[in-house]
Amino acid sequence: MESQILTLVTFFPLVGIVLIMLAPKDRPDTVKGVALLVSFVTMLLSFWLYSMFDKVANGMQFELNVPWITSFGINYHVGIDGISLLMIVLTAILTVLSILASWNSITERVKGYFISMLLLQIGMIGVFCALDLFMFYIFWEVMLIPMYFIIGIWGGARRVYAAIKFVLFTMFGSLLMLVAILYVVSAYHGFANEYSFDILKLATMPIAYKPQLLLFGAFALAFAIKVPLFPFHTWLPDAHVEAPTAGSVILAGVLLKMGTYGFLRICIPMFPQATITYLPYICVLALIAIIYGALVAMVQRDVKSLVAFSSVSHMGFVMLGIFALNLQGVEGAVLQMINHGVSTGALFLLVGMIYERRHTRLISELGGIVKVMPVFATLFMIVTLSSIGLPLTNGFVGEFLILIGTFKANMTYGVIATSGVILSACYMLWMYQRVIFGKITNPENEKLIDLDWREKGILIPLVVLIFWIGIYPKPFLDRIEPAVRSLLTQTNMVREDIGEPAFTVETDGSLSGMTAEDVNLNSKGEVHE
Amino acid sequence: MFYYLALAAMLFSIGLFGVLTRRNTIGILMSLELMFNAANINFVAFNKFIVTDGLTGQIFAMFIIAVAAAEAALGLAIVLLIYRNWRGIDTEHYNVMKW
Amino acid sequence: MDFPFPEYNLQYMLPEIFLFVWALVVISFDLLSKRNNGSTTGYLTLFGIAIAGLLLGLVGNGKGFGKMFINDNVAVFFKVIFLGAAFMAVGSSFGVMQKKIVNHRGEFYALLLMSTTGMMFLSSSQELLSIYLGLELTTIPLFAMAAFYKDDKLSVESGIKYFIIGAFSSALMVYGMSFLYGLTGSTDLAQMKVAFFKTHLQFGDMGIVMILALIMLAAGIGFKLALPPFHQWAPDVYEGAPTPVAAFLSVGSKGAGLIAFAKIFVDGLYAYHSPDMAPNDWGMLIGILAIAAMVLGNVLAIRQTNIKRMLAYSSIAQAGYIMIGMVALSASGIASVGFYLFIYLFANMGAFAAVAVFEDMTGSCQIKSYAGLARTSPFFSAVMAVFLLSLAGIPPLAGFLAKYYVFASVVDVAQRSADSSWMYWMVGIGLLTTVFALFYYANVIKVMFFSPETSPYKVEAPLPAKAVLAIGVIGVLLFGLYPEPILQFATGISSSLHFMP
Repeated sequence: MESQILTLVTFFPLVGIVLIMLAPKDRPDTVKGVALLVSFVTMLLSFWLYSMFDKVANGMQFELNVPWITSFGINYHVGIDGISLLMIVLTAILTVLSILASWNSITERVKGYFISMLLLQIGMIGVFCALDLFMFYIFWEVMLIPMYFIIGIWGGARRVYAAIKFVLFTMFGSLLMLVAILYVVSAYHGFANEYSFDILKLATMPIAYKPQLLLFGAFALAFAIKVPLFPFHTWLPDAHVEAPTAGSVILAGVLLKMGTYGFLRICIPMFPQATITYLPYICVLALIAIIYGALVAMVQRDVKSLVAFSSVSHMGFVMLGIFALNLQGVEGAVLQMINHGVSTGALFLLVGMIYERRHTRLISELGGIVKVMPVFATLFMIVTLSSIGLPLTNGFVGEFLILIGTFKANMTYGVIATSGVILSACYMLWMYQRVIFGKITNPENEKLIDLDWREKGILIPLVVLIFWIGIYPKPFLDRIEPAVRSLLTQTNMVREDIGEPAFTVETDGSLSGMTAEDVNLNSKGEVHE
Repeated sequence: MFYYLALAAMLFSIGLFGVLTRRNTIGILMSLELMFNAANINFVAFNKFIVTDGLTGQIFAMFIIAVAAAEAALGLAIVLLIYRNWRGIDTEHYNVMKW
Repeated sequence: MDFPFPEYNLQYMLPEIFLFVWALVVISFDLLSKRNNGSTTGYLTLFGIAIAGLLLGLVGNGKGFGKMFINDNVAVFFKVIFLGAAFMAVGSSFGVMQKKIVNHRGEFYALLLMSTTGMMFLSSSQELLSIYLGLELTTIPLFAMAAFYKDDKLSVESGIKYFIIGAFSSALMVYGMSFLYGLTGSTDLAQMKVAFFKTHLQFGDMGIVMILALIMLAAGIGFKLALPPFHQWAPDVYEGAPTPVAAFLSVGSKGAGLIAFAKIFVDGLYAYHSPDMAPNDWGMLIGILAIAAMVLGNVLAIRQTNIKRMLAYSSIAQAGYIMIGMVALSASGIASVGFYLFIYLFANMGAFAAVAVFEDMTGSCQIKSYAGLARTSPFFSAVMAVFLLSLAGIPPLAGFLAKYYVFASVVDVAQRSADSSWMYWMVGIGLLTTVFALFYYANVIKVMFFSPETSPYKVEAPLPAKAVLAIGVIGVLLFGLYPEPILQFATGISSSLHFMP
């Protein structure tokens, strides 16, 4: 059972797809019910996975490795470490919530929509499970088509443009990745005299410096488009704004994480020397993304595109954390990947809820909502603060760890990144003020109804997660840590090889004795130690 | 031997030129025949002067003659269709489709 | 079984003989029966193709007819493809028969069967004469089939264009063959290979006549494959010809060209590849042709408004991808070519069958008339989307694996040989063009699915067409997820091509 559970989690949504296909066309509620049930079971399965995960063990768990296409040396190889575990759980939760969120807003072609959602889920979980480069690529591409349809059919006014832009950008990146995969596999054939796509095996192969640079570049470009790193971000605002709410949630919550996950799983372990070489450039791009995203977000008139640009900024933080290449930075980055999924997902859900009522997302049209929708305003407040990174919320822990890591790696980067935090507070709070407070300028806002039980039910799990990670992140960090540690040991060895000062990885198993509670208290100025 | 090959080359060139420049579809068909016959002369000449054992070249030529005849028959049938549709068999008639 | 002329081993030709006889049976049945006999003729043809497939499985490998006819792995693999293409073309032709070709069904099917016989004969040929005869037997019936709508100007135009180009390319080819014969003293590929190898060892060079002959041969086959710069005929012919014929052309005729190319240039001219199996200038020449095909086909396809024309340009591009496998000039390269064609059979025949179904119902091939089809016929649209996405090479559909295999075999060779950076460039450009490809394939999907209006049509396909669509979808999905049997089958090809003289 142990080794099959990942397969079960990945492909369980297939049951739902088949059932929905068989369901009659005129019974949309049955279709929705099946989709919800199946995704809910998938979520429970992922929780089970979480509970069975051994947090002290090193390396991959629940591994399953069986030959698939033997002529090419492709295996069905799945396995997870702490990073993928958390991403899978996040994916499962967000899928349930987005299916709930589309309960009323999707009225036509219901079957197709929920089939796309479940297919998307298979792709997403598959990417996080895959330990075979070929499988990784296939799942990566499998996500493309349902997302294309979700944006293109159920999206907003300019949906066709956005959908095609999304597909072409992503496709361009993945083709570069394919070229690199072709090269790596063929090089491995020369090295070990067998064809293999095994990510773990390929990482053991030494690659000469020059091809490493090119290969890293190809993979990095594919992932950077997905992240999206400045200047490859232009597809994101279009896709976000035009996608239906659930599409945006999945896009921001999970799809963007694929990019950063790819850096962690493939780029850095496979091409350590190239990582060191590219490091400053990527850091600079990440910093530009942080500042640029924040500044552009500030001037947006549409709430959704504001959140979209804030994603660019936040993902810049994640990239910066990863490329700090020290324990705090990477751990913070992984945690921030979760956080961003939770809080930005929640933001998109909230925006979607207001859009369902008012059919506009323009900030100028809204205002004074607190008087008619107090529950909405409260939840919005919590999520906004989490997105800013206020202490006690999840955003704080992640950003703080990233900043510590960055300061350790490079002072200047740290200073610039910190200014990004301030900017994010500016635009989020300003937006919040204009949307929620003030007089009701628009008469239509007076008639708004507050959230119903379904909508509260969608948001509350996210709010719980926000506080949980904010107050007691230890269970998450514990699971991330072994994975990050093994990643860093490898890159540090390379750093020593090429004569760069390596950052020490503390061996006592904690972040210099700091727990997250300590981090919280410290930041409030109370001397704790 | 040289003369045979030269004759074949000349025939082939004339045929090639004809196919590329003729306006009349029948003219094109005739030029195509010239090209096939150039190949025939080559085969027979090679068989006679270079590859003296066996008759492969001559048999090849026979086959080409037969196939070319079949081809010409079919071509003429299509030309007939063209005449029925356009009342003329010049190449500029049938140029409805353009990219 | 006792066959006449036992020394010729005619039993290996049994499927071909049967198919040819069956063509006569079909045409006589149609003549003798009532004028409008429903779809019986069509079913009869399908039955014959199935029997031929069965026979092909029974006869096994071996040589017949002296050394002129050989049933080896290559031959069997390609014959399976050709029979499959014929089967799917016939299956998708029922609607056309009902609407447009009421009175000449027998001729149509007989021509198709003869053309298939030619292709199968070609796959087994080991010798220039039988290659030539096979190619002619393949194409001559196709000329007639392209012009089958006798009163439709487009169809007649496509027929005459295809005829002139086809005859022209045959003439070029046969003239080139005559020089090869003169230079090597034989028309047998194996003996030619030995002769090549000797001259290669002696002079290390081809000589101008040789090069000229090869260029003529290459041009002749290039026409059949619609490789640029010999591609202009393809869009016109595809657009004008009856849709099942265009479908059959795109897979069958292309396969015939490919096998001829593989036999003559990859296998036969092996002596002119470097001894260490590194592709040299010759490979680069094929590579340039392939790149030209991919770029031209994919770029020009974008601006098409007629779906058959679009598929024509896409098939030019697909020929480019297939030729990439030839560039490698290696065992895995040839296997990848076979695998690609096999997958292409399902995706492309499926797409054409869908186009045929739609055309029979609406009379239109314009992309814009597909608008909003997903609302009225979601299943049909989804099937069409699967075919197009497979052609575009999106995983997990089989088209992706095919592209992957082709490119992987080139990269593999590139790693092994020095001075191979151009191959990486080729792979890079090739993959880049697939983005363009995705653009126009996705455009059709966009029109079908994203269009706000509801289509006035509701697609109803006749049973055989449904079967063809189902075969296509199952093939594309199944071999995308479990390609191993076909890969094994395709790997067997290279064992039949003898890479050493």
